Amino acid sequence: MTELLWYITAALAIGSGLGVVMLRMPLYSALSLVLHLFTMAAMFAFLDAHFLATTQIIVYAGAIMVLVIFVIMLLSLEGTEKRPSIFLIGIAGAAAFGLLYMMAPAIRRTFPMTGGSLQGDVGTIGKSLYTDYIFSFEIASLLIMVAIVGAVVLAKRIKKNAT
Amino acid sequence: MPLSNYILLSAVMFSIGAVGVMLRRNTIVVFMCIEIMLNAVNLSFVTFSKLHNDISGQVGVFFVMVVAAAEAAVGLAIMISVFRSILSVETTDSSELKL
Amino acid sequence: MISELVVFEPKLAHIVLSPLIGSILAFLIGKKFKAMAGWIASAAALIAFAITVGLFQKLSHGSIFEYKLFQWMSVGDFAVDFTFRFDALTAVMCLVITGVGSLIHLYSISYMSEDESKHRFFSYLNLFLFSMLLLVLGGNLLILFIGWEGVGLCSYLLIGFWFKNLSYAAAGKKAFVVNRIGDAGFLLAIFLISQYFGTIDFIALETKIQGFTDPTLIVPILTTIAFCLFIGATGKSAQIPLFVWLPDAMAGPTPVSALIHAATMVTAGVYMMARCSFIFDLAPYAMSVVVIIAALTAFVAGTIAIAQNDIKKVLAYSTVSQLGFMFLAAGSGAYWVAIFHVITHAFFKACLFLGAGSVIHGCHHEQDMRHMGGLAKKMPITFLTYLVSTLAIAGVAPLSGYWSKHAILAALEQNPNPYLASMLNIIVIMASITAVITAFYMTRSVAMTFLGEYKGHAHPHESPLLMTLPLVVLAGLASVAGYYGGDLAHFLESVLPVNGAHFHLEDIKSALLHSWPAFLGMGVALIVYTQLKELPNKIFNMFRPIGKLLQNKYYLDEIYGFVIVRPLEGMANLLWTKVDQSVVDGAVNGTAAIVDMSGEAVRSFQTGQVRTYMVFMFVGMVVIFGLYLAL
Repeated sequence: MTELLWYITAALAIGSGLGVVMLRMPLYSALSLVLHLFTMAAMFAFLDAHFLATTQIIVYAGAIMVLVIFVIMLLSLEGTEKRPSIFLIGIAGAAAFGLLYMMAPAIRRTFPMTGGSLQGDVGTIGKSLYTDYIFSFEIASLLIMVAIVGAVVLAKRIKKNAT
Repeated sequence: MPLSNYILLSAVMFSIGAVGVMLRRNTIVVFMCIEIMLNAVNLSFVTFSKLHNDISGQVGVFFVMVVAAAEAAVGLAIMISVFRSILSVETTDSSELKL
Repeated sequence: MISELVVFEPKLAHIVLSPLIGSILAFLIGKKFKAMAGWIASAAALIAFAITVGLFQKLSHGSIFEYKLFQWMSVGDFAVDFTFRFDALTAVMCLVITGVGSLIHLYSISYMSEDESKHRFFSYLNLFLFSMLLLVLGGNLLILFIGWEGVGLCSYLLIGFWFKNLSYAAAGKKAFVVNRIGDAGFLLAIFLISQYFGTIDFIALETKIQGFTDPTLIVPILTTIAFCLFIGATGKSAQIPLFVWLPDAMAGPTPVSALIHAATMVTAGVYMMARCSFIFDLAPYAMSVVVIIAALTAFVAGTIAIAQNDIKKVLAYSTVSQLGFMFLAAGSGAYWVAIFHVITHAFFKACLFLGAGSVIHGCHHEQDMRHMGGLAKKMPITFLTYLVSTLAIAGVAPLSGYWSKHAILAALEQNPNPYLASMLNIIVIMASITAVITAFYMTRSVAMTFLGEYKGHAHPHESPLLMTLPLVVLAGLASVAGYYGGDLAHFLESVLPVNGAHFHLEDIKSALLHSWPAFLGMGVALIVYTQLKELPNKIFNMFRPIGKLLQNKYYLDEIYGFVIVRPLEGMANLLWTKVDQSVVDGAVNGTAAIVDMSGEAVRSFQTGQVRTYMVFMFVGMVVIFGLYLAL
């Protein structure tokens, strides 16, 4: 049962990913990305990383994607992009295939891999975060503050002197 | 469920994201494809964390999300700023650094 | 003939140094004080003459003065020193060069008095003296060659002295280029000598060559060397086929013609042959060629001179003809006779040229003899000296020309060369006819210029003292120099082989009898040009084609132009357009174009678009990844 569910989720993930890449209008791509993020959260849940699954939905899908959709609406993007040239598609596709081809043996060698009994709950993560990674935690908060200030400055309209 | 499946899924998602970054012109869509790539990496982080029974992987994912958020904020601000001058979000419309 | 006594004498350098310093000073000081240039140059020449006389008196029979400046080069076995040597031959040449040179310098002070570039003229004239002295004082072939080239250069500079006239400049260029062709032969000879004998020093070379127990071994190589040397001589001393520059060289000022193209430079070839007598004596085949060419040259030049109307051109072709006589003597092994004729020719030819200069000066730059006439009364001194020199060149005893010409004919008749045995009679007859022709055209020039009525438009007058004095001195020398022939032969014995040519001092009666060719030529010319004035024109119209041929110097210049110059120009043109422009420029421009194109190709990577960079990044990452996995 779980297996079937997993495969459906994986299919949705790949499908929505392809949707992001291939859909014309940016709004549709954004919505497709939201779906993708939900499936990723499901993946996290499959791996018993409950905290991360929740955080993914709240932060990623809830905040970041909202921001993205705000911007799309603000700029009234229509999706009048021209199709990329066949040449470019060929190169990109070849590179991607090449990458997968090279990774395939490595991945196959790891079969089958079964995991341990780690439970990624709040307590475990919290304990690790506030003891081993306290420094990175503080830096991360600093980073967010810098990002806020930067974003405000960049997006501000330049005031004209004349009234 | 063998964990290698997750790794395979992560690899495929990464490739899709990379292809998207290379092929799409709209800056926002490019940004979204980058998000796909980050997510793929997150997945492999968590998988390995589960494999080695080490919570550090998931802490890593946490920080990746923080950075992604910051990046989103600043990146979109830049996009808006650029849009104000060239009135377009397509990457091919600005080639000031062309030789 | 190698003398045993070699003496160290540093004054040799002073002979050479004097005109060199004079040249520099004349230019620098002469630029400021125009009048000083000539006197400085003449002083330098006179100083050189004084030193030469002093050394000449010190020179005892068979000794050689030597002065080595420094060792020039030493490569393996081959060494060349910068050495001056003063033996009997050099002494005689130096005396003529500095003596006649000084007289001509003094003459030029007056002749060039109105010219604005006097300082340049006298500087070049002194430079010429320097080069000529270097030539005769050189102790080895290389120093001789430096002087050889130097006189060629000065000849070019002086012929084209009035360079603003393009045809004069072209004449200078022609002289230099034709000389150069001869010089190529000379250089070949030097190369061959250094290759086969390992030395180019005259004394060492002579020792080496005469040290061969079996000379027949080296005859082939010596013949080749002799040929090459003679080619150089044909260039410098205006023999067939390279004499064409000498008539054109009359474009230069008359003192230049006197000094360079009569007395000194053109005799360099004869001097060189005398210097290398030990080579020529062992190459009878080359000697036969020398004699044949000399005879032809003398004859042909004489015939051309008959039909010339420019007084300087007559004298130019006369010089070519007389040079032919000198080579007749040298080619017969009688080197001292050739040098004898060099000396006598220097005296009377310089006098003739200076006299012509006086005439040209007096008639206000008129050179065509048909516009002269009757100048005997107006310019008496010029007339008398010119007449004396004409008698000398015609070969009237007891003037010097008779003795030297007679000695040449005697040496020619006694020529032992087996290769010439069959043709000797013809050559002797040719030489005799040439002597008659010489007398004829010289008397013609006297008659047309000095006798009869004046046909020109100017007011001719006698020239100033500074011009007439050298004329008198030279005429005097031309008269009496012949009697010293025996002393000369004896003096040169130490250096030059005698080869059976002796000087016979005849009594005056038999000498006059032997001057019959001169009297014949002179008589005919006098009758034709003073009494039967219409006869020349009538004969010219009768034999119009021959007349035209002679007047236009057998169209030799035109033939040369057609056969040699035009193909060369065509080839140069071809090389220019096809090779230089297409290939060389093409290669250079092509290289630049390749760089340009490759730059363009690489530039296409920098599109300025992020997307392209992303593609490159990703593809590069995949490649590196793959390489990492593979290795």
